[in-house]
Amino acid sequence: MISMKRMNAILMKDFKDFSRNLYVSTVLILPIGLGIMYGRAGIDSIESHFMLINLAFVMVATFIQSCLIAEEKEKNTLRSLMLSPASTVEILGGKSLLTFILTMFVVVVTAYFSGYNPANIGIIMIAFILSSFFYIALGTLLGLFSKSVMEASVIVLPVVTVFSLGSFLPTLIEQYPILKIGMYLPNIQLIELAAKVEAGGGFGNVILELFIILVWVIVLFLVTRIIYRKKMVD
Amino acid sequence: MENIIEVKQLAKLFGNQSALESVDFHVKKGEVFGFLGPSGSGKTTTIKILTGQLIATSGTAKVFGEPVSQLKKSKYRSRFGVLTDNSGLYERLSIRDNLKLYCDLYNVPHSEINEVLDVVNLKEDQTKRVSALSKGMTQRVILARALIHKPELLFLDEPTSALDPGNSLHIHEGLRALNKKGTTIFLTTHDMQEAELLCDRIAFLDRGMIQLLDTPKKLKRRFSDSTITVELVTEEKVKLPAGKEGANRLFDYMNSNQVMTVHSNEPTLGEIFVKVTGRELD
Repeated sequence: MISMKRMNAILMKDFKDFSRNLYVSTVLILPIGLGIMYGRAGIDSIESHFMLINLAFVMVATFIQSCLIAEEKEKNTLRSLMLSPASTVEILGGKSLLTFILTMFVVVVTAYFSGYNPANIGIIMIAFILSSFFYIALGTLLGLFSKSVMEASVIVLPVVTVFSLGSFLPTLIEQYPILKIGMYLPNIQLIELAAKVEAGGGFGNVILELFIILVWVIVLFLVTRIIYRKKMVD
Repeated sequence: MENIIEVKQLAKLFGNQSALESVDFHVKKGEVFGFLGPSGSGKTTTIKILTGQLIATSGTAKVFGEPVSQLKKSKYRSRFGVLTDNSGLYERLSIRDNLKLYCDLYNVPHSEINEVLDVVNLKEDQTKRVSALSKGMTQRVILARALIHKPELLFLDEPTSALDPGNSLHIHEGLRALNKKGTTIFLTTHDMQEAELLCDRIAFLDRGMIQLLDTPKKLKRRFSDSTITVELVTEEKVKLPAGKEGANRLFDYMNSNQVMTVHSNEPTLGEIFVKVTGRELD
């Protein structure tokens, strides 16, 4: 059975630790600052909005989560958690809770300041929540592969590029058909979903996009769990 | 008495290099078992295997009567505590906040924090951030964390290596009190005095193998040369053999009021280790 007490204890610990970690916590400002600039510039295409939203996802969910996990590895605190009675789900769940809260806050605030006003806020919120799971799982995975915070911040750079600038992928497909495969990436699916919602589509019209993002979440979750269990032993 | 740890023909290879070769021992419930050996002798490897952090190449290791692979289960994790060289703390948090986290993970009331801080002599410093602590204080916080849930079994890898004699003494008292309450302690150390002071039984580990295993008293008796040294009032030291001849000479010295002190010539554990392995403990 999952212990909420343990998950909450890890969340509270992470909150205190994070608030004193300026190196990582200042990252929160970047997407919000860009959102304000976007809003003032009057940019209103879906691709542009979602380049920023995907950047917010990857900067907060993936970058911060990978740094938090990598620091736990670097300082040998993850091993101590692993040796405690807390289960894999409690440790990774607890460690993801703070990132989830921060991600949702930053993404929503960034979208608001950039002037993005979705036609159906309910569907967009579901898509945001699913996407945040994907980016957090990705961050956890990158953190587990990194030996230090420094290494994690380098490893995450190509991921930031793919998932933020990748938002313009659909515009390049005519020129480079091979890039079609990238259309299944969760960031592109999020844009496709948002475009359908803007065109008046309801939940039934975006089920495929939500399903593809969900598949990414499940696959990454399973891979992360396997890698985490491998990291439990030297 | 019930065995809490049972190890049979345990071996561990790192590539072609052997860290442990066919190690056999058991630890009884309630005892303090010392694992002594120089750096690289396989002490930490043994602790890591016994706590499920490392997989043995061959042999069997059981803790609480279960194979160590079962230690991943939460119900077993709450029964042991570990202090190793790879135990870390949250440096931006205070000592108290670090311990609070582990109280919640082990489902222990926060009121236990003061008690455990008393054992490691850090009650006055509990609001200090870990990043501001000395190496010795950090070591004591890690020890406090290992003790917070009053484990049945405690694995301690060089627990006092970074401590000054005063704090080492304080920790020894705390560990003895814990042992009296029933905690079994598996201790690795370089410090022969510490081993002699705390351990009920001692295993000498060298080159991945146990060279000797017994109580400190029996080991000393086994390696004793059965002589006594008499220090005379003239400050001259005379070594007397065991038996009638030695007894007669001692009687003569005593009869003529020449004796200042009498000592039995037991080897130290360090000397026994060198004798058995041909190597110094570093």
